[in-house]
This record gives sequence, C-alpha cells and structure tokens, in this order.
Amino acid sequence: MLVLGVAGIIGGVARIRSKSPVPRSEGGWRELEGPDFR
Amino acid sequence: VSSVLLVGLGDVGIRAARQLVETDGIDRVLLAGHRHRGVEELAETFGDRAEASEFRPGDPLPDVDAVACALPDDLDVKVVTTAVAQGIAVASSTDAAPTIDRLRALSDMARSREVTVALGCGLAPGLSDVLARHGAQAFDEVDEITVARFGCSGAASVATVRAELCGRARDWYDGAWRSTARPAEEIVWFPEPIGARDCRTVTAGVSLLVDAFPGVPCVGVRLGEAQRRRFAMHRRVGDEGEWGATRVEIYGRRGRERDVVVYGVIERTAVAAGTVLALVAAQLCGAGGSTIHRPGVHGLAALVEPVPFLSELAARGVRVATFEGAPVG
Repeated sequence: MLVLGVAGIIGGVARIRSKSPVPRSEGGWRELEGPDFR
Repeated sequence: VSSVLLVGLGDVGIRAARQLVETDGIDRVLLAGHRHRGVEELAETFGDRAEASEFRPGDPLPDVDAVACALPDDLDVKVVTTAVAQGIAVASSTDAAPTIDRLRALSDMARSREVTVALGCGLAPGLSDVLARHGAQAFDEVDEITVARFGCSGAASVATVRAELCGRARDWYDGAWRSTARPAEEIVWFPEPIGARDCRTVTAGVSLLVDAFPGVPCVGVRLGEAQRRRFAMHRRVGDEGEWGATRVEIYGRRGRERDVVVYGVIERTAVAAGTVLALVAAQLCGAGGSTIHRPGVHGLAALVEPVPFLSELAARGVRVATFEGAPVG
C-alpha cells in the first residue's frame, strides 16, 4: 500500500548484479494495476 | 464450502487467520497454537467462522480440506508430513533452506498420494516467486532471476535470516550449484521507505525457483537484515510489525532484445506473509478466486497463476510495483 506513495520517486539503480547484458538504469516505482498487472 | 486448519499463531499465523475468516468459500477455520496463548479467546475475536482446535504437531489432522502451517522448522516438517500421509493439501510459510529441503524430499510421496504441498508461502520465498513467474511470462527466454528480501516476520524468521547470513550460501550459476563461504554484501534498492540496503547471497528459496524454472541458468536470492536493536522494545497493542520488502529481477530475451523486468513490494512482512499463506491455503480448497491443484511439493512459481493471485492480493491490500527506468552510463 505504501507503494502508492513512492510511485514516481527516484528509485535508484535498477540493477544490482547480473550476468545479463542489460544496461544500468535509473527511474522510479509505479504501482501495478489490473487487469494485467504489467 | 471448505474448511482450513491453521497451525501456528505467531506473527504470520495471526494475519493468516484474519485473512482466512474473511475469504468467501471458507466457512470454517480451525486455529491451533500453543496451549498458553489462549486460542479459544483468540478464535472468538475472529467471529463465527473461527474455532479453536486442540491439534498439536504430531497428532492426526482433523477432517479439513487444507492445512496452513505457520510453524518453524521441525514442527513445520511434522505437520506437512502428517498432511501428506493423510492426503490433505497443505501450505507452509517456511523460509528456512534446511526445512525447505526436508519438505522437498516428500515430493514423491505427495505425488503418489495426489497431495499438493505449497512451500515458501510468504513474502520471499512466496510472493517473490509469483512475481518471478509473472515477469518470466513477459519474455521468450529467461536467463536470470534474482530475488532480494529485507525484513523478518517473527522470532523464527529472525533466527532463519541470521542463520542464512552466517552460513555458506548456494546459488544456481550457469546451470549448476555454486557454493560460497561468505558472500560479499551488495546494495539492493528496495522501494522507499526501505530504500538501499546491504544484502548477502543466501540459499533459502533458490531450490524452489530452480525447480520451477528448469531452463533458467542463473538464480540467486539475497537477504538483508535490519540493524539489531540495542534495547528491545515491546510492541504496542495493534502494532502490525516490522516493514519488509522484496525485489525481483527477471532478465531475458524478448524477440531480439535483451531486457529486465523489476518488481518491488513493500509491506509489513508478517502481513504480506500471512496474506500469501491464507490465499494459497484458500486456493488449495478452490476458494480465493482460483484453484491450486498440482500434486507434489512446489514453490509458488510452479503453482500459482500470477494475475488472479496478484489481483486477489491487491484487493487485500498487498500491492506490487514495477521499476521503470531509463538507461544511464
């Protein structure tokens, strides 16, 4: 429920450690909603 | 119309009881806890659907459709083993690697008796596994899943986290188990107000994900622990417990593009765990908006249909977020 309050706030680095070649990113959290929760 | 026996009335069990008595399709919730905890008085506070049971781990189970178990370690193993022997579906909130491994060993017996055993019904393992499945469905091919959790729910959970952080850690790396004596701490960014926390690779929950995603070459779980309090403080009445969080990252390929999906949850750890445990137990009975039936011993990534489950959780106040980022560097 607190997620509502943090949507849009800078969320920090998206990637912690991974083998996968995916670029680092910065952004924020958005609450998932139905019907597909994407 | 179904009945559930809930065993264990600690931080998680109490929240699960509250959820179960409010679930349509569950008309009887038997509560079993330590004899000194006033189970009858507690049952009265949950209304007409709840009643006290004298069941103790090791006893034969009463006639119910499913069992929800919120007990630690040996007691949990006792209850789950009895449920499998009696052919009753069971959900366990265990988050300890040794307990998970002991219960996974019951898989052949569970399959032969057509019993579904749901393991790791908490925040992580638990909801994190559902999110891993949900994220994986967005890819053509998944090559890595990482889960992190911060926070505990009750004394048994605190003990589990400390044991996990002190012991050797095993993760699944390039399609094989990799053991590390003392993994380095890494910063994990959870949703605020938990924010950035030091976490360490642990074993708990990895095997459930490896079972559920047999083709994924890399799976890892990290745990973070709150600072120990110098002075213990008693909780206030009505205090819903410590905040916790989980973060789930799924890396994979979609068409020719590689991408990552990141999910986060922040909630009182016991509330999230109790809600997940109750919902899984309800679905083992065909209530709670869906039906779980897959004989054997499984984590939630192998049992739960993510969207209806997330929808039901959201209706109960446990919500999930996704991280939306732009490339940097």
